Amino acid sequence: MKIRKDHVAGAAFIALGVVVFAISGDLPFGSLAAPGAGMMPKVVTALMMLFGALVMLGAADSAPLASLDWSDRNHAALVMLVTGAAVAAYRPLGFLITMTLLVFCLLVIVERRNVLVAAAYSAGLTVFAYWLFEKALRSPVERGLLWF
Amino acid sequence: METVQSLILGFSVALQPAMLWYAFLGCVVGTLVGVLPGIGPLAGISILLPITYGLDATKAIIMLAGIYYGSQYGGSTTSILMRIPGEASSVMTCIDGNAMAKKGRAGAALCIAAVGSWVAGTLGVLLLTVVAPPLAAFALGFGPPEYTALLILGLIFLAYMSTTSLVRTLLMAAFGLLLGTIGIDVMTGHFRYSFDIAELGDGIGIVPVAVGLFGLGEILATPSHQVVAQVIKPKFRELWPNRAEWRASGWPIARGSVLGFLIGIIPGSAHIISSFMSYALERRVSKHPEEFGKGAVAGVAGPESANNAASTGAFVPMLALGIPTGPVTAVLMAALLIHGVPPGPTLVNDHPSVFWGFVASMYVGNLMLLALNLPLVGLFVNLLRIPYAYLYPLIIMFCVIGVYEVNNSIVDVWIMLIMGGVGYGLKKFAFDPAPLVLGLVIAPIFEMSVRQALIMSDGNWTIFVLRPVAAALLAISAALLVLSMSTYLARRRDWRAKIAAEAGEET
Repeated sequence: MKIRKDHVAGAAFIALGVVVFAISGDLPFGSLAAPGAGMMPKVVTALMMLFGALVMLGAADSAPLASLDWSDRNHAALVMLVTGAAVAAYRPLGFLITMTLLVFCLLVIVERRNVLVAAAYSAGLTVFAYWLFEKALRSPVERGLLWF
Repeated sequence: METVQSLILGFSVALQPAMLWYAFLGCVVGTLVGVLPGIGPLAGISILLPITYGLDATKAIIMLAGIYYGSQYGGSTTSILMRIPGEASSVMTCIDGNAMAKKGRAGAALCIAAVGSWVAGTLGVLLLTVVAPPLAAFALGFGPPEYTALLILGLIFLAYMSTTSLVRTLLMAAFGLLLGTIGIDVMTGHFRYSFDIAELGDGIGIVPVAVGLFGLGEILATPSHQVVAQVIKPKFRELWPNRAEWRASGWPIARGSVLGFLIGIIPGSAHIISSFMSYALERRVSKHPEEFGKGAVAGVAGPESANNAASTGAFVPMLALGIPTGPVTAVLMAALLIHGVPPGPTLVNDHPSVFWGFVASMYVGNLMLLALNLPLVGLFVNLLRIPYAYLYPLIIMFCVIGVYEVNNSIVDVWIMLIMGGVGYGLKKFAFDPAPLVLGLVIAPIFEMSVRQALIMSDGNWTIFVLRPVAAALLAISAALLVLSMSTYLARRRDWRAKIAAEAGEET
C-alpha cells in the first residue's frame, strides 16, 4: 500500500489523542448531569481522533507522501533554530542585544547576506523598534541583565 | 430615529482629532499589512495588539479595525501588480487584476478595486448600523442554552463554508477546542495540562497561537528565493478607468457588496470565501464568461467589493452577540476584553460611545482608504521592492516583541514558536488553521455555557431542545451537518471545493 499524505496526517492526530488520554487520567469526567473538569477535553479528544480516522479513511484521494515538497525544510529549520535561540536569550540579554543578534543571524546564517550590511541593518532596525516601543508607544521592552 | 441620534453620537466621537489619527494609523498599517506578502491581517493585528495597551478601548478598536479593513484594500495592490496575493482574500483578484495590468490597465484595475472596496465597505457599515443594534436587543434574551446552540451553529457553519473538507475543518476545530481546555477549570479549580507551568494555568492565549500559525508559520514555509518581486508600476494619470470599464464594474460592485456582507455575518473565513463566491457568481452571470482570466473588469470589481463587505459583515455577530465569526474577529474581541469592554448584546447600551464611535469611524476609515490608496500607490509599489530576505527578519522581530508584550511572558513566545512549527506542518498537509484558532477562542465560552445550562436545568439536557431559539439553532446545525455529511459520503466534490480547485488552477 502506498503511504499518502492523509494517512500520516490522520495518524498524527490519533497519536496525539492517545497521548492526551494518557495524561488525562487524573481529570474527573463527572457525570452527564454534572460534567467534571475532564469531560470537555476527553470528548473533544475523542472527536479529534474520530476525525483523524476519517481523514485516514479518505486518504486514497490525497497525494502520495513522497510527493510532499520539503525544499523549504532547511530554511524552516534554520529560522526556527535562530528564533528559538533568541527566545532563550531574550530575558537574560534584553531587547537590544537579542533582537540585533536575531536579525543579524537570520540575514547572515539563513540568507547568506554581506556581514557589514547585515550588521548595519540589524542595528538600525533594532534601534528603530526600541524607539517605537519604548519611547513612542511607551510600552517598555525587556531590559535584561545589562539593563538595556 | 434613535439610530440616527446614536450615529451622530458616534460621529462626535469618531471625528475627534485623536480618533481620526488612530483610524488613519490603522488604515496605513492595514494597507501595509495587505501589501506585504507573508503577513496577513490576523498576524498584523495580533502583533500590533500590545501597541494599543496604552490607549482607551475606543481608540484601540478603531485602530485595530482599521488594520483589518485596510488590509483588504492593500491586498489588491500586490495581486494586481505582482500576481502575488498580499492577503488570502485577494487570491481571486490576481487572476483578472494582473491580466489587466499586463494589458496596460494596471491603474484602472487599482482604481476599480479601490472604488469597489470603498462602496462595499461603506454599504457594509450602513447595513451594520441597521442590523447590529436590533440583533443585540434580541440577543439580550439569550441564556446559556442559546449561546451553546449558537456556538455549535458557528462551528458547523464554519465547517460547511470551509474551502477544505468538512472532516478536516472539524478536525482542526476539535484540535483548537482541545487547546482551549488547557488551564484552570474555573468551575472545579482543576489544573488541566498545565505541567506545573504557572503561565499555562491561565490557558493558551489567542495571540501567540495566531501569530505562530499565521505569522511565523507562513515565514517558515516561504524561503526568500521563492519571493521574486516583478512589479508593474502604474503612472498616476493612468489610474482613471475609461467609461466602458466603469460600466462593467457597476453591477459586480453592487452584487459583491451585498453577497460579501451576507457571507461576512456567517462564521468562517468570510472575507476569503466571499471573494471566491463573488468571482464564481460574476463569471456565471457574465455575457462574456470567456473573458474571465484574461482581464475581465468584473473579475476585479466583484471579489474586491465582496471581501471588503465581508470584513464589515463579520463585525455584526462580534458586536451584537459577542461571538467571533473567525480568527480576526476573535483577536478583536480579545482586544476589547483586554480594555475592559465585553463585546456582546450589552455593548450598545453599556458602552454606546465605543460601539457607535467604532461604527462611525468605519465610515471615515473607508473614505481615508480611498484617499490613501490611489495617490500613494507609487509609495506602496516601492515598498514591494524591499527584498523579502530583509523583510521577514523584521516580521519575526515584531512577532517576538508583540507576543511577549501581551503578558510579559516568555512562555507565550515559546508557544508562538511551537505554533509556528505546527502551522508549517499543517500547511504541508493542507489543513486550514483558521478553525483551530476559532476553536481555541470558543472552548472556554462553550464549556461554561454548557455547564451553566445544565445547572439551570438540574442536569437535564432537554433544556437545549425545550427552549425555542436554542432548538431552532440546533435544528439548523443538524440540517447543515446532514447536508455536508451526505456530500462527504457521496465522495462528490461540492461547489466550495470546485471553486477552490478552479482558483488554484488559475493562479
